[in-house]
Amino acid sequence: MDERSLIEGMARGDRAAFRDFVEQYKKKVYYLALDMVGNAVDAEDISQEVFLKVFRSFSTFRKGAKLSSWLYRVTYNASIDHLRRKKFVPEPVGDEVLESRSRDDNAGLPYGGAVDPALAAESSQLQARIARALEKVSPQEKAVFLLRHYDDLMLKDIASSLGLSIGSVKSYLFRAVRKLQKELGGSPLISGVEASHD
Amino acid sequence: MISCRTSKDRMIESLYGELGPTDKERFDEHLRSCPICASEYSVLGATLRVMDRRERPDPGPAFWDGYWDRLSRRKVWEEAGEAPRTSLVARLVRALSGIPRWSYQAAGAAALLLVGILIGSRVVAPPAPVSTATRGAMESGAVVQAQNYIERSKILLLGLVNYDAAKEDAYAFDLGGKKTVSRELAAEAPAIRGALNARGQKRLRDLVSDLEVIMMQIANLGSGQDVEGVELIKQGVDRRGIFLKIDLDRMGRDARGTVDPASSSGESKLPKKNKI
Repeated sequence: MDERSLIEGMARGDRAAFRDFVEQYKKKVYYLALDMVGNAVDAEDISQEVFLKVFRSFSTFRKGAKLSSWLYRVTYNASIDHLRRKKFVPEPVGDEVLESRSRDDNAGLPYGGAVDPALAAESSQLQARIARALEKVSPQEKAVFLLRHYDDLMLKDIASSLGLSIGSVKSYLFRAVRKLQKELGGSPLISGVEASHD
Repeated sequence: MISCRTSKDRMIESLYGELGPTDKERFDEHLRSCPICASEYSVLGATLRVMDRRERPDPGPAFWDGYWDRLSRRKVWEEAGEAPRTSLVARLVRALSGIPRWSYQAAGAAALLLVGILIGSRVVAPPAPVSTATRGAMESGAVVQAQNYIERSKILLLGLVNYDAAKEDAYAFDLGGKKTVSRELAAEAPAIRGALNARGQKRLRDLVSDLEVIMMQIANLGSGQDVEGVELIKQGVDRRGIFLKIDLDRMGRDARGTVDPASSSGESKLPKKNKI
């Protein structure tokens, strides 16, 4: 079902349209929430909350606006509310914890048993470093980065999704990438090139 | 030729392919003539390539297949829970809107008078000795509260010990919901324990204590489905003989003829492994 039909169906309160909408966007909403709050159970809870909110308040959806932009904004706001409610302060996580978390994540992969142990260990370390680097980025910077880098949203769409100016989006994104670069500085893929030019 | 400052402003757009052809040409021209900007641009690009290698944990097909059903269930629960609350408020507002202002003033004065009398009676009059009958009533109130607590904890524990991670849908198991309930139960326990201060209530108090510890363990289970944590709790329940203690308490109550808060809700189910 295309976006226009979805919007028309949902405006009529059509359950099938709502289901199509959920099927189409559930992964994007879940992963954005997961990346924002870092907990699978909370991410599912937030994603459900987002869909129910969209369903109930669909009458407030502005005609002509982009459905996905609206959905991202609702998800972002719900994640931020969740972090505030939980008074979330990211705790510094040690390498060993992150590495074991990464190993656990990899354990469920279909090729988990067939991977070269050296490669698996290297990948595990890289995932741990990436996770730790992302923890250093503020929620706003992180949201902008995730939407641009993993959801492939254009800067103007991110601005419209999060209710920011394009200038702010660029600034958040630049700061996010600089912070990530600083945290990942020791990575063999990045090190060797110095950059300090303000 | 653009300046280093403008070049920096455009780095992100260039990295994500969002620069127009003319701007891109000017930007590239600047990089060719400025090794510092070129180096910074290269480092940022390398950072993004590292971030490309990030893996996000996939909760698996069972999670995605059951997503709609879980969402639908939640919608039904929330609608069922919200409807009466909304209509009650609406009814109250409607009912109050027809009452004249003087009646609010009269009601306010009466309430103030009542509060004054209550405060006066507490402050001036000496506390009346608690009669044996009153104490008995308080004790039995505490016991009923404790029994209610035990039954609610038992229902939660049955759901947990009967869960088989290998056979059942992990998400239908709803560990998040169980954690919330157990958190509430753990928070209620100290007050219930405190009220069980009469002689002969030690066993009941110990049982509430045991349940409180288990509820706290459930509330503190890790994120995700934490199968290992659930298994440890099952072993703890087994080791402490929780279900046996609950059954003994119930048998004792039956023998004494005490009211059972669960008796009206039908027979409770034993954990699978305890079935004979």
